[in-house]
Amino acid sequence: MSTPVLAQPAPDAPVVHRPTVGQRLTSFMPVIALVVLLAALTIADPGFLTLSSLTAAVRTAAPLIVLAAGATVVVLCGGIDLSIAALCSLATVFFALWLPDLGGATTLAIIAATGAIGALQGVVHVLLRIPSFIVTLGGMSIFAAIALVISDAGPIPLSDRDSTKWLTLYVAGVLPMAFVVALVLVAVVSLVLKLTPLESWVRATGYSESAARLGGAPVDLVKIGAFTLSGACAGLAAVMLVSRNFSGSPTMADNLLLPAVAAIVVGGTAITGGHGSLWRSLAGALVVTLLRVGLPIVGVPSAYEQILYGAIIVAAVALTLDRSKVLIIK
Amino acid sequence: MTTDLQTDPGPRAPGSPAALEVRGLVKHYPGVKALDGVDLVVRQHEVLGLAGENGAGKSTLLKALVGLVRPDAGEIWVRGEKVRLRSIMDAADHGIGMVFQEQSLVPNLTAAENIVLGSEGPGVRRGVYRWRTMRALAQEQLDKIGSHIDPLARTDTLSFADRQMVEIAKVLRIEERTSHPPVIILDEPTSVLESKEIDTLFTQVRRLREFASVVFVSHRLDEVLDVCDRVAVLRGGQSVGEVPAEGAAPAELHRMMIGSTGADDHYHDSAAERSDEPRRPRLEVRGLSGKTFRDVDLDVHAGEIVGIVGVHGSGREDVCRALFGAEPTTAGEVVLDGKKLELSGTRAACAAGVGYVPAERKTEGMVGPMSVADNMTLTKQQARCSGPVVRPRKQASLVDGWIERLSIRTPHRGTAIQRLSGGNQQKVVLARWLVAGDVRLLLLDHPTRGLDIGARSEVYRLMRELANSGVATVLLADSLEEAIGMSDRIIVMSDGRATKEVAAPAGGKPTPLDLVKEMV
Repeated sequence: MSTPVLAQPAPDAPVVHRPTVGQRLTSFMPVIALVVLLAALTIADPGFLTLSSLTAAVRTAAPLIVLAAGATVVVLCGGIDLSIAALCSLATVFFALWLPDLGGATTLAIIAATGAIGALQGVVHVLLRIPSFIVTLGGMSIFAAIALVISDAGPIPLSDRDSTKWLTLYVAGVLPMAFVVALVLVAVVSLVLKLTPLESWVRATGYSESAARLGGAPVDLVKIGAFTLSGACAGLAAVMLVSRNFSGSPTMADNLLLPAVAAIVVGGTAITGGHGSLWRSLAGALVVTLLRVGLPIVGVPSAYEQILYGAIIVAAVALTLDRSKVLIIK
Repeated sequence: MTTDLQTDPGPRAPGSPAALEVRGLVKHYPGVKALDGVDLVVRQHEVLGLAGENGAGKSTLLKALVGLVRPDAGEIWVRGEKVRLRSIMDAADHGIGMVFQEQSLVPNLTAAENIVLGSEGPGVRRGVYRWRTMRALAQEQLDKIGSHIDPLARTDTLSFADRQMVEIAKVLRIEERTSHPPVIILDEPTSVLESKEIDTLFTQVRRLREFASVVFVSHRLDEVLDVCDRVAVLRGGQSVGEVPAEGAAPAELHRMMIGSTGADDHYHDSAAERSDEPRRPRLEVRGLSGKTFRDVDLDVHAGEIVGIVGVHGSGREDVCRALFGAEPTTAGEVVLDGKKLELSGTRAACAAGVGYVPAERKTEGMVGPMSVADNMTLTKQQARCSGPVVRPRKQASLVDGWIERLSIRTPHRGTAIQRLSGGNQQKVVLARWLVAGDVRLLLLDHPTRGLDIGARSEVYRLMRELANSGVATVLLADSLEEAIGMSDRIIVMSDGRATKEVAAPAGGKPTPLDLVKEMV
């Protein structure tokens, strides 16, 4: 083998591949949808676009962003986590119960505990080969019931408000700390994914699990890791909710499940796995929050609010989902 | 396009108009000109072969003929009538139907349901399935092709060949939509058939000719010449000519396909004679047993290509997967370079320097929507990382290097691998094991399945080069000829056991017949 036989030059000069304008536009769609919505709300009520209402909106959005961000990683792996809201509610109860004993360490303990519970769901999903939909549906029911039992089905006020006070502060006087924490979370997780082989593994697992496995990607570990992160995010979201409500309650986050799923899909992440990002879910969560906060403010009657909300969600997904990346729409 | 329905004046079609005619068809994809002015005529009651290398535009042309792809320019005429095909249903209305390479049947429905699916007609009345009518409809279709498949059998219980018959029966339902003889397109129908099944298929194709026109696409030129009346050749998205099948030689077609005379040394025989010094084999398998195989012993030396041959059900695919840790084993020991190889999972196998190329490229070999670069570095992440951190520039230069070295035709390293042609996809999949330079044992399960001659030849060359650099290779070949041509030694498996070992050195190759005797 004196001459490498494979060293023939490629016959065609490679064409430089640049994304078309349309493709570029599609990837910015979640942000465009957000801006359009903001503009529409402002036109409907010119008084809407004020610093105080925007501040209130992003403050409300923070727990939703955190929940959606964690679940996005599971969705990217091709699974779904339906237990996030129930786990988050349970965590608010735990927080109120543990606070007297653990004090300032409660926040970390909650995140660790919910992370472990998420990991457990991941292990059950991977080892027993039960679809994630079922595992987390069961988890949802179990966590909700445990929360009711240990809380005596009622809210538990915080014994002291100082340990969560930091989350209610404002950065530079205008940015709510909870929102900043949510941003940092999205940035850090996105960066870790991007800078390490993790993103490759997560996407491969989501697009084609068997190909990922035969390509030597640590599919099982990646999935368990995704569920762990999703659980931990539910814990962090719980701390944010507790910091605002000064109590833990067994149903506090229950109404966040569908908005979180909506945030993920409105962001353009494919529910079938592989395609999407946490940034998209951030934009999606802001769209969903703006709708919930904004529609009443601009004077949409509450009876029509749900109709408009549903219609806009569907329209937003129609805009944001890049169908060229997703072959099968289920 | 003012005259949508107009009769062909007919200078090109004396007598009866062509069943199907394509004029100057053009289709661009970003960075690729898939069709560049293709002309094609399918006469009535003829079997037209369509030959061309991967990437020559065959698939795009076929898709345009059944309305799955809309051409940028050019015309399609059906029996002297210009048509625009917007969907499969449109094509069916004009009597054009296609049997897809990847089968399109729903596995958990019965053959009858599949045959009538989409055009139930009298099989459904007031929204309710009428099983007896449906079965009769299906039986009628199956009778047309003289098949004895039970219409009530669940499709996933049928063999691949039977499923193909069901597809042909299904496609023939377009006869009910048009009063003219239909045009049936068969896309690579033989790629996974055994030789006996191929004979049955060919009988079928000749039957079809009695009442239809057939377009037959295959990468095996001898088959094309065997079953077709005429063969049209595509190259680089253009029609480069056609020959009557009668009296044409595969070599002549091949020359038209690649535009020059190909080298005759197809399998790139290992020129260097291996020394016979006694040394420990790189791979030692002792008494390996699993669900479909028992007590398999196998030695592979560094630099050696060992082919495993056997009929369907011999268990050779599972042995291959077991060695990669993707199939559970019940007993046995595997030693790689003197170290026990844990068969605990694919990751352990990768780490130990074992590489595997699965037979199902599209679902198992590659992650379709991911880029060429990410597919290439999926397994050996360390090749593009410093510590735990991905270095995009390191990846870019590494991947570009391999793209050039293997002459992978892709617009860019960032292009989704699913946009490449089959041969180029397979080169990326193979490169995955080479980027780290630490592969010691390669398990190749039908590495040339679905590839045309040119791409095959390049895969062969790559295998040979790897072997010469010391990689031990286990090959499950696509055909006996390939196994004989590529292997230094051939193991025959039958009913899950390794029954015979045949030496196959360059210059002393066994014949296919020698092997067949041992296989059954």
